[in-house]
Order: sequence, then structure tokens, then C-alpha cells
Amino acid sequence: MNPYQVLGVAETATDAEIKNAYRELAKKYHPDNYTDSPLADLAEQKMKEINEAYDMICDMRKNPSSSSNSSYYNGSYGSSQYTHTNFPDVRRLIKEGRLDDAMQILNGVSTSGRNGEWYFLMGMVFSRKGWTEQAFSYFQTACRMEPNNPEFISALNNINARRNYNPSGYNTVNSAGCSVCDICAGIMCADCLCDCCGGGGCC
Amino acid sequence: MFGYVTVDKSEMLGKDFEAYKAIYCSLCKQLGKDYSFLTRFILSYDCTFYAVIALSLEDSCYGFCSGKCKFNPLKKCNYIKSGEEALSKAAALSIVSVYYKLKDNIADGSFFEKLLCYLMMPFFSHWRKKALKKYPEIEKAVAKMSLAQFEVEKDKSCSIDKAAEPTANMLSDVLTLLVDDDDEKSGQKRRVLSSFGYFLGKWIYLIDAANDFEDDLKKGCFNPYIIAYGNDKALHLSDINSSLDHCLSECLLSYNLLEIKHFNRIVDNVLIYGLPKKQKSILYKEKELKHGE
Repeated sequence: MNPYQVLGVAETATDAEIKNAYRELAKKYHPDNYTDSPLADLAEQKMKEINEAYDMICDMRKNPSSSSNSSYYNGSYGSSQYTHTNFPDVRRLIKEGRLDDAMQILNGVSTSGRNGEWYFLMGMVFSRKGWTEQAFSYFQTACRMEPNNPEFISALNNINARRNYNPSGYNTVNSAGCSVCDICAGIMCADCLCDCCGGGGCC
Repeated sequence: MFGYVTVDKSEMLGKDFEAYKAIYCSLCKQLGKDYSFLTRFILSYDCTFYAVIALSLEDSCYGFCSGKCKFNPLKKCNYIKSGEEALSKAAALSIVSVYYKLKDNIADGSFFEKLLCYLMMPFFSHWRKKALKKYPEIEKAVAKMSLAQFEVEKDKSCSIDKAAEPTANMLSDVLTLLVDDDDEKSGQKRRVLSSFGYFLGKWIYLIDAANDFEDDLKKGCFNPYIIAYGNDKALHLSDINSSLDHCLSECLLSYNLLEIKHFNRIVDNVLIYGLPKKQKSILYKEKELKHGE
């Protein structure tokens, strides 16, 4: 493996350039972006490669100022611990990717047993299937039923972040109206989100 | 549902736009070569994008050569030198999707639409047979979509996700077909392409639904947004926008995991500028700058 190739920089790049390239990539493949995504394992693998490449270059250059700080982005992928669950089987099935089976069990639950977690797990199954609209609506219901559950809130936050696509960094819609106030509110929301996931090193 | 997947020329380097145009022209040439001179008229941006992805996944390096445009003898075109297999697949996809589109229109179009489709049908069924022989999997994927779409539209309370699934699955299938090795790396690539195709297909279906909203409302045609939001589009514009944004986000996340060997700036451009711009222009009826071709 050529670490320079992994980071997409020339071997003659300065330390600052390398650090920048690393940061850009780390932002792109950060585990937070891929939470609840079926491709999370691939992103994790990619992240590992980037971290290794960066560490390798730092070691090679033996430059204390750019010393290995990649652990910074070593966020772990969502194997969050549940203290209590009513549906351990469903969670296992979702993890194994057996979505139809999970759905079948959930559909078998009587109306009285449909608590916040039931809605959350329905949302999970739909999200994995790519049924984004259904997932969104189930996550919303889950959060309405149990507004203080951090697991549900983080799922809803995740999905909300994805429902706003603006990779170019500028909003091309004038008619949608984006006032200074909206920007402030947006930044505040983003900041809350950041804290929610344990806070990256970026803010 | 054609022509939504375009580049944004204003955000593109000149050389990339030249390359994109060359792929467009090469696909046009390939259609003429594989099927008939007449099929060149069905060339679409969506299938050009499919060709771009197909070409970008191959190892070989492409050169360009110049030639004459078959439509306009005064115009010069650039063509790519190799990559015939990838172009041929994209040509097959064009033919097959037009064939099923015609079939659709015959089933539920207006009188004149039907008449026109009936007239074109014999040609396309001949060409479809050719495509079927060459790439049976592509034909199968599109046929599956057509059938599933027909089933889905019977459900008068159909959800947005369910309505979009046939198209999403079709694009997912045809994109995964592009990787045919059997090692571990290819398996991962297929997973990424499958997800990429699913959400791009979903976006294409939904943007088409958003675009046809008023028409469908007038004619009483099936449209998942009308089912979900009733007949006031303006009221739910931001919901529609969010549902489309979500597809693009997932699409980009998948694409970031895809290792492509060529034309990455073209694909980047489509995903980052082309698609969102198209979406805004359709939803908010902004005037679009014409592609200077």
C-alpha cells in the first residue's frame, strides 16, 4: 500500500497538505456519516486505511508537529448498548440483515404492544430497505412517544441530516428563503447533533 | 422518465465537458452500430450516465479521436477509442427502456400517444430482441421493473417508497451487472453499486413524479406524491424536496465508497451539482441555463 496514494497526495506534499488531505477524507468517511447505513462496514474499512496511511506517513517523516493524531477520528461504529429492549430478536435480525424476518415479527406485535421502540425498529427495518420516507415517519413517531430516548433521537437526527442535501456548500434556491436566522439555527442544530454523537474533534 | 441525470456545465472543467460530450457521441455511434441509424434519436442523458459509470469501472485507459457527427456533417465530434463493451451495454439499456416505456404508454396513454407507440412498436420489438440476445440480464432487469410498476400502481394507497422501488431496483440491478468478477473486492463493489443504483433510481422515479404532478392531477394518473400529499403541491414542496434530498444523500454516501478509475470528476459533477440543480429547477421552476451543445 502506498500511503500517499491512499490520501491522494503527491509524495512531495508538505505536512500541512497531507494533514488537510487526511482531514478531508476523514470527514468524508467519518463513521457518523454512515450510522445505520448498510454500507457502514465498508466505510469503516476505508477509514481504517486512511488512518493507517496517515500514521505511516507521519512515522516516515518523523515529524513531531504532525505526529500521529489520527485516533482523533477513530469513532466507533454504532454498536450502542441497550440497557433494556423488548425486541432482542428483532434487533439481532436487523443486525444480520434479515429484514423480512424482522418485519414479520414486528408486524405480529399487537397494537397494544407497539411502544416507542417498536416504531423505532420499524423505522430501522425500512431504513435498511431503502424506504426512506417510511423510516422517517416511524422515527418521528418513536421520538414523539419517547422524546427523551437518546437512541431514537440520534436516529431521527441522522435521518434529518440526510434529508438536506447540499454537498456543494451553497444553496442554489432563492425562493426557499434562507435568512441569516436560518443559518444560525442550522449551525446550532448541527452543533447539538455533534454533541449528540459524542462530539468530534472538529467543534 | 428520461433526461434527469445531467451534468452542470458551469461547474465543470472544459476538458471534462469534452470527455462527457465524447461519451455522449460515442454512445450515439454505438446505438447506430448495434441497432439502427434510427435508434440514435433515443439517446438520453440517463443512459449516458450509465455509460460513464460503466466506462469508469473498467481498467483500460481511454483515448479520444475525432470524427464527423452523423447528424450534422458540418459538426465535428470526439469519440472515445475503446470501451465498446460498456457503450454496448448502455445502448442495450436505452433500447430496452424505450421499448418498455412504449409498452407502458400503449397501456395507459391518450389516443394519439397510443397510435404513435403502436407505429413505433414493431421496430423496437425487433431491436429489443437484439438487445435481449446480447445482454439478457439488462433486459430482465427492465422487464422486471415494468411488471413490478404495473403491480404497484394497482395499489391506490401506495406509499412513496413502494412506488419508487421498481425503478430503484432496476437501476440497482443494471449497475451491479457492470461488475462481473467473483473475488471479495468485486463483491464489495457490487454492494456499493447496488445501493448507489437503488437511490439514484429512486431519485429518478421521484423527480419524474414531482415533475408530472400537475399533469397527473389533471388526468387522474397514478402519482405517489398525490397519494401522499393530496392535490396541493405547493404546501408540501419542502417534504418533496426532503424526500429527494434524502435519496441524493444516500447516493453520495454510496458513491464515496466506490473506487472508480476514470471520469471521477464527471460523476462528482453530476452528483454534487447536476442532480441538485435539476431538482431545484423542477421543484422551484427556476430557469435553467441551456447546455451549450
